[in-house]
Amino acid sequence: MRWFGAVLTITLACLAAAAAFVVWVDPFQQYHLASRYPPRFYFLHHRYINPGLARNQAYDTVVSGSSIMENTPNDLVAKACGGSSVNLSMPAMSASEQRLMLETALASQPVKRVIAVLDFNAFAGGIEERQDVAGPLPRYLYDRNPFNDLPYLLSWDVLAKAWRIVNGDTGEKFTSDPNGAWFWGNVVRFGREQVLRGLDLENLNARYRQPRRTFDGMRASFEHNLLPILAAHPDTEFDLVWPPYSILVWLDFAQRDQVQVSLDFKRYVFEATRGLPNVRVFDLQGDAAITHDLDRYDDIYHFDPAVNERLIEAACHGRYRVDASNIGEFERKLREQVAAVATPAGLAAVVSGPSFVR
Amino acid sequence: MLFNSYEYLIYFLPLALAAYFLLGRRATWAVGWLVACSLFFYGWWNPKYLPLILASIAFNFAIGRALHRGSQPVLSLSKGHAKALLACGIGANLLLLGVFKYADFAVRNAADLSGLPLALPHIVLPLGISFFTFTQIAYLVDVHRGQAKEPSLLNYALFVSFFPHLLAGPILHHSEMMPQFASPSNKRPQSFHLAAGLFLLVIGLVKKVCIADPLAPVAAVGFDHPEALSALGAWLSVLAYTLQIYFDFSGYTDMALGAARMFNIQMPVNFDSPYHSTDIREFWRRWHMTLSRFLREYLYIPLGGNRLGDAHTAVNVMATFLLGGLWHGAAWTFVAWGALHGAGLVCLRAWERTGHRLPRAIAWAVTFLFVMVTWVFFRASALPAAGAMLRAMAGASAADAESWSEALRHGLAPDAQGSALVAAAALAIGLVVVALPRNSNAMALDFRPTWPRGAAVAVGLVWSVLQLGKVTPFLYFNF
Repeated sequence: MRWFGAVLTITLACLAAAAAFVVWVDPFQQYHLASRYPPRFYFLHHRYINPGLARNQAYDTVVSGSSIMENTPNDLVAKACGGSSVNLSMPAMSASEQRLMLETALASQPVKRVIAVLDFNAFAGGIEERQDVAGPLPRYLYDRNPFNDLPYLLSWDVLAKAWRIVNGDTGEKFTSDPNGAWFWGNVVRFGREQVLRGLDLENLNARYRQPRRTFDGMRASFEHNLLPILAAHPDTEFDLVWPPYSILVWLDFAQRDQVQVSLDFKRYVFEATRGLPNVRVFDLQGDAAITHDLDRYDDIYHFDPAVNERLIEAACHGRYRVDASNIGEFERKLREQVAAVATPAGLAAVVSGPSFVR
Repeated sequence: MLFNSYEYLIYFLPLALAAYFLLGRRATWAVGWLVACSLFFYGWWNPKYLPLILASIAFNFAIGRALHRGSQPVLSLSKGHAKALLACGIGANLLLLGVFKYADFAVRNAADLSGLPLALPHIVLPLGISFFTFTQIAYLVDVHRGQAKEPSLLNYALFVSFFPHLLAGPILHHSEMMPQFASPSNKRPQSFHLAAGLFLLVIGLVKKVCIADPLAPVAAVGFDHPEALSALGAWLSVLAYTLQIYFDFSGYTDMALGAARMFNIQMPVNFDSPYHSTDIREFWRRWHMTLSRFLREYLYIPLGGNRLGDAHTAVNVMATFLLGGLWHGAAWTFVAWGALHGAGLVCLRAWERTGHRLPRAIAWAVTFLFVMVTWVFFRASALPAAGAMLRAMAGASAADAESWSEALRHGLAPDAQGSALVAAAALAIGLVVVALPRNSNAMALDFRPTWPRGAAVAVGLVWSVLQLGKVTPFLYFNF
């Protein structure tokens, strides 16, 4: 028994030491914000770090969306809306992941406002769709149960990161600005050439390979993932924002017979939330000054940080708001734009010059 | 719950073990605790399948009781009735397996053959159903033969559900387990078994985490993109899979045997250096040995074995291996894999009759190559994909080394170079370990709790546990 006890004791002592070291350094800021060293927001580690920010950072406003919202610094939101903000956006976020993220934030502290950007693609797939491209979502970090944190506490990968932090090793790719933890607008090029590079304009989805969506599937996902949160937090204002993709996204939808299902879903979201006084819907998708100006984009989806600023200001100042009286007008305008861009002349106008339909 | 998970290693196993020995003075409580633990272990993945395994246990126990012709039979059955009851019991088990494991396969093939748009039932396969079904079929046959009897439902439930073997075997015989479960001394902690069990468990964990897992993405890249493989890429992919499946399955088995040993339960060995084999019969005596035993005792021999002449033997061998292949999975690739192994055995018998003997090294090489090539069918997603892989191995693919490198870079992202280096190291270490004369069974057999071994166990356990939690940054593919 001595051998067994000694081996077990040594093993547990080593593991406990490793866990204690991880808690002390806390590379993903799960237990405390980085204070003894400049924080490290590791490249594409949103799904690990955001739940820690949600729990430990002080804020009253949450920005939630996919990669298109990552270029939204906290101070921009504070300037436009007041208060203090945290950006919990994640690349290619699914509705299910958005729910988990928002639940974590809302359970952590009182939140006055949530600016949630809705992506059509987030509602594709099943109601529990996750973007587990490289591995499963670290679900254990999205709750307050410390007993399931072992994959974080006892991970060689995390331990190595903690060790590098202690040693001042900056060999990994990360940013250290808590104001714009996931900001990438300063490292990519925006412009029509960039957007159109390698694009087959007759088959846009050849490059983006987005799945086909159904109205029933999207509705089920919204009802499962977002609607309950909106209803359960009447003291929190939810600004649901339809983001201004480039008009080429709508051309892609037209090429794949996804325009109607998208418009139907937008209409449904409005109808489903109009009875909730804490929910407002905004729609920037018909603003041709943005969507037809490809110089504002990095690809057909991702716009430059100035558009993020416009979007946040719109939400906070009530512009682009959808209500019962204007929803038809929003739809009509977008339908016309889609019909126009689907013609050779309309497409040529969008892709060829700086002028755009106003 | 997986053996290579934090919840199993840090919480479940220590708690199950400690409480079992604390309750050891009251045998029923200890057995009850172990059954409860096993059901919790089973339900961890999806509790909705708990009723299924419970119903299966209850049904087979009832049939077993009815079949039992001991001193106090529940029913007095004539020989004919007993046989009918046995057939009914086996039929129900096979029906359960058929519905949950083969329904989609059957409907898909029926749709393909008939051209009718039949909807697939999409039944989710309950974990371990193949194992607990076969275990219980063997039990029923043994009861019918008068070789087993079990009057206690709790004991029977433990025999079927004992968590170390529940999900992936070994496939147990009632007679080899129940005396151990019944022994009062086995309900007290025994330091040697605890130490030897921990030793074996850590060997299995290291095999799984440090060799099988790093090889998995290399094999996956190859089998997912056979059209991108050069001949070298194809052979390396198949070699990676050959080692991955061995270290994965034998590692899992070592962990199962190790955990059971810590409870003072010795389960049968399931792997005995199968890649040392010099013919395909020997391979099946060393690979998944308890499945081979099951198929031999409950299928091949009842079919007539080798007692009815060469032609009949060949038919029996083929039938056994076709069904054995299908048992592994509901796909034609598994049937092809079983058929190849069956044909291999038939050819071996024919070759042996010629009286010729190959030199040992050549016999080993032929056997290893045969096993490697047949793994292509086992791993491929479909027969055309297997064909593409075989074409690439034969050098008939148009792809060059660059396209394989590109596929690897993509498949091993984000740290393709680091992952490739780790996989190369795992491949080299795996080949060395496979070639070693002593395997984990031999090491466990003459285990002595020395301090160098203790240090190795502690290092292996700490290192493996730290490898379980991978941080995988999001790969930005197509949004």
